[in-house]
Amino acid sequence: MSTATFTQPGGAGTNPASPSREAGPSFPRVLNSEFIKFRTLLSTLILLASTAVVMVGFGALSAWGTGSFADAASSDPQAAEAMAAQGGDLAVTVPTSGIGFAQLILGSLGVLLMSSEFTTGMARSTFAAVPKRIPAFLAKLVVILVSTFLLTAASTYIAGLVAVPILDNYGLKLDLASSQSVKLLLVSSLYVAAVAAIGMALGTLIRNSAGGIMSLVGLFFVAPIAFQLIPGDFFEEARKYLPGNTINPMTAVEHVPETLEAWQAALVLGAWVVVPVVLAMVLLKTRDV
Amino acid sequence: MIEAQGLTKVYGDKTAVDSVNFTVQAGRVTGFLGPNGAGKSTTMRMIMGLDRPTAGTVTVNGEPFARHAAPLREIGALLDAKAVHTGRSAYNHLLAMAATHSIPKKRVREVIEITGLADVANKKVKGFSLGMGQRLGIAAALLGDPQTIILDEPVNGLDPEGVVWVRTMVRYLASEGRTVFLSSHLMSEMALTADHLIVIGRGRIIADAPIKDIINGKGQSRTRVRTDQPDRLMNALAGDGVSAELQDRELLEVKGTDPRRIAQTALEHQVLIYELTPLQASLEEAYMELTKDAVEYHSLTTTGAPVPAQPGGK
Repeated sequence: MSTATFTQPGGAGTNPASPSREAGPSFPRVLNSEFIKFRTLLSTLILLASTAVVMVGFGALSAWGTGSFADAASSDPQAAEAMAAQGGDLAVTVPTSGIGFAQLILGSLGVLLMSSEFTTGMARSTFAAVPKRIPAFLAKLVVILVSTFLLTAASTYIAGLVAVPILDNYGLKLDLASSQSVKLLLVSSLYVAAVAAIGMALGTLIRNSAGGIMSLVGLFFVAPIAFQLIPGDFFEEARKYLPGNTINPMTAVEHVPETLEAWQAALVLGAWVVVPVVLAMVLLKTRDV
Repeated sequence: MIEAQGLTKVYGDKTAVDSVNFTVQAGRVTGFLGPNGAGKSTTMRMIMGLDRPTAGTVTVNGEPFARHAAPLREIGALLDAKAVHTGRSAYNHLLAMAATHSIPKKRVREVIEITGLADVANKKVKGFSLGMGQRLGIAAALLGDPQTIILDEPVNGLDPEGVVWVRTMVRYLASEGRTVFLSSHLMSEMALTADHLIVIGRGRIIADAPIKDIINGKGQSRTRVRTDQPDRLMNALAGDGVSAELQDRELLEVKGTDPRRIAQTALEHQVLIYELTPLQASLEEAYMELTKDAVEYHSLTTTGAPVPAQPGGK
């Protein structure tokens, strides 16, 4: 069908005098490329949409549950005690009640973003276009951090908007502009972005989607429970330093004894991001694609 | 121009590419021929900076691939038709590749046109046939309008029309002065497409010469002769590097001389001959001859029966 094209001069579009002749893979260009790749995959969009649905859905369910619980508490001294033990203000945590699922889905998205490059062979195209490799990795990291942060923040806010009238029915107040609400939204969104970054590092290191996702699940869901079940002070202490256990200290209204301070938890989570990311970059640079 | 010097790649205890030296010149089609597992793809991945050489260097236009400021504008490669995320459309795949070098959308549409993918450009690559995948890989290779083009097994999976299209395209690209380096294990395809041939077997370069030299040099020319007095003709021809073999009752195969001299000898000795057919060595034979000690995976049957030379053939 196109045989003739090659017998015509200029069929291959030769234009050596074009001003962009020397334009190479600068970081903004690679970032643009990675963003195009991110938004043109249906699977990515499905995972993002699922996260939003789960976050908003859990916000609504949690608002309903919290309201019922508060109702019961007003007539039941035992329930009232239980509520008081939780710190009093349960309503403020309603918008972020789906965060556990958000971190699982978006963490998996982080894994897939890189592992799919290797499982599909796309990596050969990606790293032929960006042979220095690190700019492509960093561009992906920026895309996943920004997108997961924004999505979690927006979903949390929408969950809050949905929760306010439900809570209102039970006479509970939720002020989305309160400092604790804003703090929960920002910290939770940063936390989910961090989990996605860890996922991406795992995807780069393991290069296999199932292996990467299972490692992430192991780290965030299995290890905390396993560490709790294994007897001994070491595991009791080590448990605090698992990345999945840093979110509570960071969002607590007041420091809970026997847990990390908020700033310590933030540092621990930061280390959980930086170490695998740096390791992933070093190995990505040195390994064959 | 592509230059490899002492290029070596070792995987564990297996040496895939063993200290090879070669130069791929601009302005002609250089074929990279070798049996499966000979090290063709590994060599090409090293050219593209995807695999790190264990030893030695390979440069493209004087620089290692990764050092070029705009690699896709320097060299375009089809390394694997499946170097694509199959969930993305062909257009979006090319768009993302183009974005890394600020290659305009116009050029993306242009390479889609050139490779005949216009009808399927917005479909997911998942549904592509092998041939469509090859066309997409070639489209990606052409994106940056590079001076050097590497194609690993480009005709693999293409229909006859696609094969002709690739042949026309690479010849056209070379005629524009570009460096074209394509690999294949199909020697017949190489005979029609390449000007120069680099033959590799078990990671070593076996031959590096113009394609005509390879055919003429390695495949000895033979002549099939039918005569009712084979013994007498054999005796008359014997000596001076000429050998003849009786294949059937009245059928001889003569090596080391040409049909004209056979006819002359027959005339002088009053032997009637009623067939005189030059058997030109095919590239297949030359190739089999070259690589017979270097084949990684031997099969039990062998091919390579001589074929009659075709008028106008190589």
